[in-house]
This record gives sequence, structure tokens and C-alpha cells, in this order.
Amino acid sequence: MIAQRFPELVRELQRVVGHDGVLAAQSELVVYECDGYVIDKNSPDVVVFPRTTEHVAQIVRLCNEHDVPFLPRGAGTSLAGGCLPVGGGVMIVLTRMKEILEIHLHDRYAVVQPGVVNIHLTQKLKGSGYHYAPDPSSQGACTIGGNFATNSGGPHTLKYGVTVNHVLGVEAVLADGSVVQFGGPAEDYPGLDLPGVLVGSEGTLAIATRLWVRLTRDPQGYRTLLAVFDSVDDATNAISEVIAAGIVPAALEMMDQGILVALEEAFHFGFPLDAEAILLIEVDGLEAGLDAQRDEIIELCQRSGAREVRRAETAAERQKLWKARKQAFGAVGRLSPSYCTQDGVVPRTKLPHMLRRIAEIGSRHDVRVVNVFHAGDGNLHPILLFDERDQAQVRRVLEASEEILDECIACGGSVTGEHGIGVEKLDFMPRLFAAEDLAAMDRLRIAFNPDGRLSPHKMLPTAGACSIEQSSPQRRAAL
Amino acid sequence: MMELAARLPLRDTIAPAQQGELVVAVQRAFAEETPVYPIGGGTSLDFGLPAADEGIALQLSGLDRVIDYPARDMTITVEAGMTMTRLAETLAAEGQRLPVDVPDPDRATLGGVIATNTSGPRRYGQGTMRDYVIGISAVDGRGVLFKGGGRVVKNVAGYDFCKLLTGSLGTLGIISQVTLKVRPVPRASRLLATPVNGWNEGRQRLEALASGAARPVAIEWLIGPAWSDDPALVSAAEGTCGRLVVGLEGTVDEVDWMEQELNRHWDELGAAAWSTIVDDAAPALWRRLTDFPANPDAPLVVKANVAPSYTTSYLQRLQIIDPDCSVQAHAGSGIIVCRFSPTPPAQGYEQIFPLGLVPEATMGQGSVVVLGGRVTRELPPPAIWGKPTTAWKWMTRVKQQFDPKNLLNRGRFVYEH
Ligand SMILES: Cc1cc2nc3c(=O)[nH]c(=O)nc-3n(C[C@H](O)[C@H](O)[C@H](O)COP(=O)(O)OP(=O)(O)OC[C@H]3O[C@@H](n4cnc5c(N)ncnc54)[C@H](O)[C@@H]3O)c2cc1C
Repeated sequence: MIAQRFPELVRELQRVVGHDGVLAAQSELVVYECDGYVIDKNSPDVVVFPRTTEHVAQIVRLCNEHDVPFLPRGAGTSLAGGCLPVGGGVMIVLTRMKEILEIHLHDRYAVVQPGVVNIHLTQKLKGSGYHYAPDPSSQGACTIGGNFATNSGGPHTLKYGVTVNHVLGVEAVLADGSVVQFGGPAEDYPGLDLPGVLVGSEGTLAIATRLWVRLTRDPQGYRTLLAVFDSVDDATNAISEVIAAGIVPAALEMMDQGILVALEEAFHFGFPLDAEAILLIEVDGLEAGLDAQRDEIIELCQRSGAREVRRAETAAERQKLWKARKQAFGAVGRLSPSYCTQDGVVPRTKLPHMLRRIAEIGSRHDVRVVNVFHAGDGNLHPILLFDERDQAQVRRVLEASEEILDECIACGGSVTGEHGIGVEKLDFMPRLFAAEDLAAMDRLRIAFNPDGRLSPHKMLPTAGACSIEQSSPQRRAAL
Repeated sequence: MMELAARLPLRDTIAPAQQGELVVAVQRAFAEETPVYPIGGGTSLDFGLPAADEGIALQLSGLDRVIDYPARDMTITVEAGMTMTRLAETLAAEGQRLPVDVPDPDRATLGGVIATNTSGPRRYGQGTMRDYVIGISAVDGRGVLFKGGGRVVKNVAGYDFCKLLTGSLGTLGIISQVTLKVRPVPRASRLLATPVNGWNEGRQRLEALASGAARPVAIEWLIGPAWSDDPALVSAAEGTCGRLVVGLEGTVDEVDWMEQELNRHWDELGAAAWSTIVDDAAPALWRRLTDFPANPDAPLVVKANVAPSYTTSYLQRLQIIDPDCSVQAHAGSGIIVCRFSPTPPAQGYEQIFPLGLVPEATMGQGSVVVLGGRVTRELPPPAIWGKPTTAWKWMTRVKQQFDPKNLLNRGRFVYEH
């Protein structure tokens, strides 16, 4: 039994949220030692479950009084280690703040608590003619507070924009315990766009306790296509052609042969196993425009060498295609005992080059790589397969991952399109940004979080002093 | 630049031709503690409070190069002094556009548009600058060049300086270079107008538009003398509460279908049919819908932001304050721009804020700011920027980090010092 480091703080926290709102025993804390990024692990000293904004504010003030670091957590599906309690401290888990507080269809917004699970809002809106557009593949588990903090994307964010395009306002508890509202139900409040700044700040600037999110009209109709290609190059070329033709698909996803084989084995969707790549393309909007767009896409795919373009003729067929896409990661488990997903981005026209490079890097390091990703955004998710019990394989996977991300940077891209920097990609920040850029980011952090007690050692290489061993990407959880 | 000197307390004007020269100029100003007023096209210098102290102008229109335009990626990187017209021409050559409406685009520069977060009618369907800026470079108040974002359309590495600088009024950094996400030019575009008779009818029609099957890119409610005799609108009857104008964009089939659908819907509501603005007149009307807030002759121009369903109530209040005012509401977004008539209000300009404009905006969960006009300089700061909120304290903290000597556009925004 490890002794509690902060017994007095635990008692005070219990007074704030009640005994059932505080975990302090080691056996209970291990559950919180990591999120979807499992390489670095560290238990918090205390886990606390607030139910109100005032609870969060009081917890933060107590942490400051005791000089103990603290950090927010939603569902813990982060793939970048955003929830790792570096140096221990108090973890503030927001899952009990899970009310959908208001829905205003005419004003196109909803007010939610941060612990609302993404899909619950969509379910609640079903039949209203509106939905919440950001749809990360983890939407059945992840929270809107976590989406806010990581600026999450999803397949349909190609057309509709990522989380930041759908957050109007936020009530937050800041690092000093003050409660402040930034933005709100209207657009264009005077002064700085601080809601925009706080989205994607990975829990290092503020803890969201209430969010005003934009609701989006449901499209009148969809056309969903599956284009089958004999070569990856032809498929990536088709992507370029579609985008360049001025079509903005609602979603444009790619799966390569490795993924197709795994999906077929698992679910028997009837994909051709000899195809090198397939594209899942969806356009949505007014019925009046959809057939024409669909036909144009079919023609562009055929001109790029598609062997076959299948259409989803019914809602059930459409759902089946999306199910295949969403289950792709689950199927990867059949290919190898462990895998690690990367989140690089390149300009869309660099996709052919980048996919060739990924294949080449994989084979040089003797690592099998399969791809399923948001092709329309140029957001790659190469999945590196390995067995984590084999140290040599682990090392090769780490080296290959690093080379892939470096290549994304060399192509003018980024090392993360939606998963975040967290602790995982800290090493890449100085490769993406100059020292002056990082210093400016640090100044922004200091404006909100001057003592650095709020989620230290995240996002910025300079965000804290205590050193944890930096490890490279290697995780099982995936896109 | 005579005009400039009259509007800003200037000691000198520097016009850098390279981003490096911009850095050197700000570094020198920092060493000498000289306030710096960045100037793009000089179109929005009346927005905000008057400059506080004498300083130097940094004229940025020399920074106007295209750095990279990979059209097939639908992104463009340009220097921030480029005028909006040149940007639009560059994009149009590839069938693309930045769908943000900007007054006076021959003079307005991209950096100025981002700093003031300018927008127009299309914001309802297309969003605002914050939805398009994906990479940004700026020079802070110490003369340090820093950047955020990048050149790809999806990117969450680091804090989002694109959002921080959009709407920052040049008070945190002088924007020097920008990467934008751009959109294809729609194949068809059309404007339709319909009369509004009575406030209740207006409110109902707005709800019908917001939830109807057609998806307009713009929903405008136009009231007052500025619109009564508009040459493009004369064919469309004016109601007792002005007219609604919608903008439709998309493929030809989509636009045709939306027009039919709107007429079908209005018929069902027992409303007068929509008149289609003839193609020849439409571009000029788009232009006037875009330029409306920038009118230099009005004594006072204000902009309110409220929850969209509160638009009608706010318009009613404006009519009470000044029955002859001219109003444009981006009604789908709850953004209302009002140009006051030449007749001063009985209680005086200063009083209409605490007695009408501000409380009404608060009721609508929003606020009101002054965009310009002759009497602006006589108004106290609370009128210009509206009621302070607790958020302002944190804006000030950010300002202090990026511009510790308070040199950049000193005094234009009400930071607490
Ligand atoms: C199978 C799977 C699929 C995924 N698919 C996608 C995808 O398609 N797109 C995508 O973008 N991501 C995806 N992710 C990543 C992850 O789901 C998202 O980052 C998600 O937004 C995290 O939400 P969460 O509630 O789990 O947050 P957590 O993991 O609990 O937290 C994430 C970060 O947010 C901070 N945080 C949490 N709540 C708050 C709050 N209220 N205020 C301030 N900071 C807070 C935490 O400190 C942490 O830094 C996927 C993950 C998995 C496991």
C-alpha cells in the first residue's frame, strides 16, 4: 500500500464533492494512469469527480493552495497522452458533468456540460433536422469537453469543419480557479477570439465546464460511393482530381489493401481482396445537386483508372459502407498483436508521394504498415503493425514512425491533424516550429496558466521543468 | 497619405518592402518605446477607439507577394499587405475564391481584414475569416516574428495563433503572412427579394427561412432609406418593414431548385412571391450588401450581435431610436448593422447606448460596438466597445504577453491597464 501523498488535500476535496466523488487508493488510481496512449504511464495521486462548475473552481483553488499540479480528463480516449498526469497530482474527471443543458434549434446552438458523450448530443437531436457535425470515430465514448480540448475532427469534418468551427463559447475554470465565460450564443463578441484560442489547447489553458456548440442542419440527401483501384497511385490521383474539380465531398476516406484484407476476414463485407486501394466518397446536400456530383465523381475516378465504382443505393447500403470504415481499426487487431497509429498531414497533392514513402520506409525497417485515413484532408493514419513483446520490433516501429512524421514535415505538412501533441509528439514541436514560435506559445500559456500547475509538460517542450523520459509513439489504440 | 495623418497621430510612416524590414522597424520602435500603427488599406481606421499617443505608421501594402499557390490543394500563402481584389483575381484564375465579403476590396488588405475580422452577407452559409486562416505569421510588440498553424487544411500542432490574431485589431501582432484555405467558385449565384409587412411577419419569415428546405448562403433583412430606392431592388416591392433578400449559391440545378422551393414555401405561407434580382443587377447588389457598413457619411454606424432569433426585436428597437435609420441585418447570424440618419436622436448620441442599444443587445445575449461615423470621436469608450465582461481581463493578460510596452495600436481596444 502506497501512502497517500496529500492526505489533507484529499479530505478537503471530499468536503467539496463528497466521499463518492474522490478516489485516493492506489488500486483505484491505476485505471487513470494513462489514456489511449499507453507508453508513458503514471498514476495521479487523487482522482476527483466534480458535478458542478463551482466544484471544479473549488478543486482548482485547493490544488493551488497545496501547490499540487492538476489536469482535466474526459473519457480518456486521447491518443497522444493528453491525460497523463506528469508528476502526479489531482486528476479532475468531468464525466459526471454530463447534462445537455439547452437546445435552441432556431438559433442553431446547444449548451452542454463537458462530460456529454459526443454521440449523445447527436442522438438527442435525432429527428430534429439538426446534428452536431464533428464526428470523431471515437464518438461513442469521447466527451465534447475532450473534443474541445483536442479540436477533434472526423470523417465529415472535410466539408463541415473540425470542432473549433462549431464552438461558439465556453465557460471555463482557469488555472487560478476563476470562472469566466468566453463567447456565448451569439457570434462576433468584441475583443479577442478566446474561445477559438482555447479550443485545441489540450487542457493546458483552461478547464471547460460548459460549452455553447453550433448545431448544423441535416443534409437533404447523400450519395455514397466506393471506388476500387488497382494501384494506390491511381486512388490518390483520383482524390486530387475530385478536389481540383471544385467538388467538396462531405467525406473522402481511403483504405488500402492491408486494411481491406483484415476487414474481409473479420466482417465479410465483400471487398475485392486484390484491389490495392478503395476510396469511400460521400457527397451530401440538396437532392437537386447530388446526382450530378455523383456522376462527376464516378467519371473522375474512372478516368483515374478505377476498376469499379460501386454506389450505395439504399440507406442500408450506405450504413454498411460506413460501418466498414468505422470498424477498420477494430479489424487491425487480426493482423498483429500490437499496432501504432500515426496522425500526419500533408498537402493533398503530396498524398501519392507520401504513401509511396510510407511503404518504402516500412519495408526498409521491416515493419508492416496499413493505411486507413481521411484522404480528402490529407490527414494520414498509417498503422504500424508489430508485437510489443519483441523489443527489436518495437525499436523498428519507433524509428519508422519518426521517419514518417519527419517526411510529413518535409512535405510541408504537420505531425498531427486531430490527435494532438500531448506528451507523445513533444519532440516534434521544435521540428515544426522555430524557437520564436514556441516562445510565443509559451507566452500564451503564461497568460492563462502562469504557474504551470494546470496540466504540466504537455504540448510545449518548455511547459514545465520536471523531466519524464520522452518515449516515442507506440500504442494499440488507434484512429 | 494626408488623410492618414488626420486620422492617426503620426510622427512618421514606414513602408517595409520585405517582412525583414517590418521586423527591424518594430524592433526599433520597441527600443524607442514608440507606438506603432499598422496600416493596410486604411479602410477601417475609424473602427475602435482613437489612437492614444503619437507614433509611427507601418504601411503594409508593399508586402503583397504570392508566396505559394498550390491551387489543387485549395490553399494559398500570401503576404498580408495584398489587397482583397488582387487576392480575389489570383484565386479566380483557378476558379477559386475566399468566400468572405469585404468592403472596399481595392484598398482593403488581407492583414487588415483578418485583424478586424471583417465579414458580410455570406457569413451565414460560408463562415468568417476564422474558418479560412490556417497559417499565420506576425511580428509581436517586441519585434519578434512568430508563426502558428501551417500550410495544411487540418492541423492541431501547437496553440492556434490563427484564431488569436483574427479579430485582434492589430493589438497583439502585425500580421505579415497568411495561409488560407479556399473554396471553389460556385457555378451559379442568385439574389431574391420579398417584402416584409410588419415585425411579426418578419419574425415568422426568418424562422421559415432558417428551417426551410432551401439553404440560402445569405439571409439579409434590409430596412430604411438606404435601401428603399436601391436600383437592383426597385422591382421588388418594399414592405412596411423593408425587405428580405436571400443569396443562393451552388450548381445551376441547386439554385433553380431553391428558387422554386422558396416560392412554393412562400405561397404556402400566403406570402408575396420572391422577385429574382436580374443577373445584370445582382453583382452590384452583392457589392452594396457588402459595402453597407463602411459608409463614411453616416453620423454613426453600429453593429450589434445577438442570438439570431432576437434579430427582429433588435430591429424594432432601432426603429424607435431612429425611425429614419438604415439597417442591414445578417439575419441568419444575428448580426445587425445600423447607419443612423442625419437627424441626431433627441437624447443625444451618447445616451442612446445606455438607454437603448446596449440593454437591448444584452437582452439578446449579445453586445453592440461602434463601427464608425462622424460622431464616433465624441463617444466615451464604453459606447465604442460595449459593456466589459470578465473575459476582458484575460484579453489584457494576453496583450501584456505579446506587447508588453503596449505599442501596437495603443488605445484602440479597451484593455484594462
Ligand atoms: C478508437 C479511437 C478513435 C478515435 N478517432 C478519432 C477521430 O476520428 N478524430 C479525432 O480527432 N480523434 C479521434 N480519437 C482521439 C480522441 O478520441 C479524441 O482526441 C477525443 O476528443 C478525446 O476525448 P476524451 O473525452 O476522451 O478526452 P480525454 O482523452 O479524456 O482528454 C483529451 C485531452 O483533453 C483534455 N480535456 C478533457 N476534458 C477537458 C475539459 N473539459 N476541459 C479542458 N480540457 C479537457 C485532457 O486534459 C486531455 O489533454 C480517437 C481515439 C480512439 C481511441
